[in-house]
Amino acid sequence: MKRRSFVSWGTAGLVALCSGIGVSLAAVVRFLTPSVFYEPPQTFKIGDPGDFSYGPPTFLSEEKIFVFRDREKGFAVASAVCTHLGCTVGYFQSDERFHCPCHGSVFNADGTVQHGPAPRPLEWFEVTLARDGQLRVDKDHAVPASYRLVVSS
Amino acid sequence: MERRLPQFFFALSMIVLALMLGAIWQAGSPTWKTYQQEFHRLEAVGEPNAAAKSDVVNAALVIRQDLLPGLQRVDRCTTCHLGAEDPTMKNAPQPFAFHANLAPHIPARFGCTVCHGGQGLATDKQNAHGKVPFWQEPLLPREYIRASCGRCHKEGEVPGVPELADGRRLFETQGCRGCHKLNGVGGTIGPDLTEEGAIRRFPEWLERHFLDPNAVSRNSPMPNFHFTKEQARALTFYMLSLTSEQMGTYYSSVRLIPSASYGRELFVEKNCIACHSIGGVGAKNGPDLGQAAKQHSPGWLDEQLVNPQLIYPGSTMPAYDLETNARKAIIAFMASATAEDAQSILAQRTKPLTPEDAAIEAGKQSFARFGCVGCHGLQLQGGVPNPNSQGGEVPSLLHASDDYTKEEVIKIIQNGKVPPVENTAKPAAPLYMPPWKSVLTDEDIHRIADYLWSLQKKKDAW
Amino acid sequence: MNPFREAWQSIVRRDPLSTDKGKSELVFLNVWLHIHPAKVKKENLKVKHTFYLGFITFFLFLILVTTGVALMVYYRPQSPQAYQDMKDLQFVVYLGTFLRNMHRWAAHGMVICVFLHMCRVFYTGSYKRPRQFNWVIGVVLFLLTLGLSFTGYLLPWDQLAFWAITVGTNIGSYAPLMGARIRELLLGGHTVGESALLRFYVLHVAVLPALITLFTMVHFWRMRKDGGLSRPVWKLDQDEPAQLVTIGAPATIAPLAAVPASQDKTYGLMEVVTGRPIFETVSMEEEEDAVFSYPYAFFREGIALLVTVATVMAVSLFWKAPLEELANPAKTPNPAKAPWYFLGLQELVSHSALLGGVIVPTLAVLALIAIPYIDSNPSRRPADRKWAIRAFTLFVVVNVVLIIVGTFFRGPGWAFVPPWVHIAGAE
Repeated sequence: MKRRSFVSWGTAGLVALCSGIGVSLAAVVRFLTPSVFYEPPQTFKIGDPGDFSYGPPTFLSEEKIFVFRDREKGFAVASAVCTHLGCTVGYFQSDERFHCPCHGSVFNADGTVQHGPAPRPLEWFEVTLARDGQLRVDKDHAVPASYRLVVSS
Repeated sequence: MERRLPQFFFALSMIVLALMLGAIWQAGSPTWKTYQQEFHRLEAVGEPNAAAKSDVVNAALVIRQDLLPGLQRVDRCTTCHLGAEDPTMKNAPQPFAFHANLAPHIPARFGCTVCHGGQGLATDKQNAHGKVPFWQEPLLPREYIRASCGRCHKEGEVPGVPELADGRRLFETQGCRGCHKLNGVGGTIGPDLTEEGAIRRFPEWLERHFLDPNAVSRNSPMPNFHFTKEQARALTFYMLSLTSEQMGTYYSSVRLIPSASYGRELFVEKNCIACHSIGGVGAKNGPDLGQAAKQHSPGWLDEQLVNPQLIYPGSTMPAYDLETNARKAIIAFMASATAEDAQSILAQRTKPLTPEDAAIEAGKQSFARFGCVGCHGLQLQGGVPNPNSQGGEVPSLLHASDDYTKEEVIKIIQNGKVPPVENTAKPAAPLYMPPWKSVLTDEDIHRIADYLWSLQKKKDAW
Repeated sequence: MNPFREAWQSIVRRDPLSTDKGKSELVFLNVWLHIHPAKVKKENLKVKHTFYLGFITFFLFLILVTTGVALMVYYRPQSPQAYQDMKDLQFVVYLGTFLRNMHRWAAHGMVICVFLHMCRVFYTGSYKRPRQFNWVIGVVLFLLTLGLSFTGYLLPWDQLAFWAITVGTNIGSYAPLMGARIRELLLGGHTVGESALLRFYVLHVAVLPALITLFTMVHFWRMRKDGGLSRPVWKLDQDEPAQLVTIGAPATIAPLAAVPASQDKTYGLMEVVTGRPIFETVSMEEEEDAVFSYPYAFFREGIALLVTVATVMAVSLFWKAPLEELANPAKTPNPAKAPWYFLGLQELVSHSALLGGVIVPTLAVLALIAIPYIDSNPSRRPADRKWAIRAFTLFVVVNVVLIIVGTFFRGPGWAFVPPWVHIAGAE
């Protein structure tokens, strides 16, 4: 290759190769990322506000959440999955706390760890009102423990 | 040549890169994304403030699916049909329009395709609506969608879909089973209809077929029953509901919609009026049921129906083996029944039949149920065309006693009979008498013979 | 030395490519490339000689392995999930349609190219002594390619797949003694069902690729040992001079020895014992028309690779691989046809099951394998091989005609219906 051009063919070839590899890698990663999940959805409706009682929270076993309803403050949804190793906690009305049966973690009513091996407080999920009047929980959106959804009845 | 090789190589690399980018472009711009963006814009209109609007407009574009393991389906219709459960979208253009009267058949539990048809796995319009080759379940036209109710609700009346019950009744009384098997019972001259709702989900074809079989199925031996348009539609609805799709127990438990009218049927069938009264009319052996329905909860009544001895030990009320929905139907009837209902039920009760009459009645039921009327006619008149058979048509049975003894007729029913051929050069006649000994018991066959003999026209007396 | 430079040189340990030494080292110090000789005869590189069909077949195989592994991420070999996964690949997986199309078209391309390659090798007489057994390995590779295509054909689990494999395995069952047993082992049952799908999957992704890789290795190795690509046919008019290689340093030092040029261009310690490193003792000028593999051969191979990839990609962008309705054992399409490369066989079977389905194909394969051994004519010149060429051409034409008849001229009931006659009412 005796003639010199603005960019030599070798360099151009290298650039082409690198961009080709880059594009291919990006495409491979996108290919491997699932577009649909064969699992229960992260966002789901749980029913009308009127279906839920005040006082101790309602436990939904399939979705693994507790639904709190407070007369003044409104709705809040907490995860029932222990932050230690993933067991399902239970709510005890006697001390108004969550107890995990696996390793004894105890969470306060606001989700913070009272004692036990759990490293983090229980997650609270965003609950909103859908257009058809039902409560909608979004597990992809974590909210602070003070979050409430006020529903005018 | 050698100098050019690296240039060729580079040029080809560019072409391959371009093709790669072409593939990525092809994959990256599916139409459902456009639909979702449009919907988000529509939704944003209803949001109260700019922040909320921006949140909605910039929401992630994802394929949405309803996983329905109990129905063995995956429906992705809500990827585009985003407004189906949103009442504010009542006047939105399709595909965003609100779907009224969805409950309790919400997409999360039922998806969409089990009622509407279509290809739930698809994510573009044409494939999703199923109007593509090799997909057997295209979107049902609007007027036929209600036929899908029969896929789950297989018994009793389905509110809002009288065509299903009408169709079933026509099927049983017009003798279709003479030629067609359904759930293992029937003849083999025509195709088995047990899966007709899965095989042939083309309602226009089915309806035209009922109005004139030969117009859509050339040289079909099926006679023209001269159905009216309403009858043809009812039968089409019934056909569309015939599937034996495996559905999870949650779905199969709703075979029957508990309705007061079905409750009445069961009430008559179980002969409750023999011991109970309604509104004071009826027997006095047990409590008045109208009162009971007012005084007790449906749960209490249900318990009583399941186990009468539990609440009243020593009660003479038998324990009936009734499904949940059947019990609900009876309770629904009790809640709404009046003394007039009791009157009409009493009036319907016929006197007990003599053993001979009972046998003839049973024979008549079998004759209709197993499809004999299909060829031999409701009045035993025959007349259905049977090309190239002697006589050219199915014979009338009203003069069978002239040519056969009763025992000979019984043998024919048991073993079948192929009609003699008129012209041996032409193809054999399509219709024939099939053997029934493996389907009907000897008793059934004797009763049918009794029924036939009860209708024989006597020879003119000399 | 600059640490980056040192790091680089620990990875790339050869001399720069601008030097002859570097060009040689690129080949024989590199594990992926050292099957090549450091230098090749320029005439062997001509496209008109081999059409690069062997390379193209191999590159198609590489495309198939890559796209195949990608598809494996989303495919389950179970009924009925397999069909659902095919639909998911089409509707939901990013680039799913494109990858599936690439896999299908590359597969068809590989069957065609391996056949064309076999024809080319025959027509150039490259199977003759000492390359006879490599031809046999080639026939084995051809059969393995057909096997891979056949096992893969079932995996979409649609009507096309189900019935093609039903027909195909039934043809095989006509073989005497072993036929029924082999069919039973393939299907894991009496009919095509769950077991068949799983077994075909294992064959398709594990067993047959492993076998074809092993045999390909032997095939390439033997070629290198036999002297690489054989001399083009048109060069055969010139006499091949006896090649002698001078062993010794360039001109200034007297040569130590003259040894015959080795076929495989490997001069090992067994051949030259001088106590000095090879590249100091072997003259690089032993052949006038030999050029370095880099860049002459590699750029050509690279272009062949790119042309293959580009063609498969372009076809995949515009033509969709077929997917019919879900496999239904109760509903046979009429007619039910085997995959196209077996349609010639199915045509023969329609005339006679034992003769057409078993005896003729077996004899054909045995005849193919026997070609290098029954061909005693040492000449590769076409003028000297008229009858061999005529016989083989007849074989190729008969195959192609049978496949064309089976594809286009057979309608419902296997009736002979020319394709220009419209078949009405077919469901």
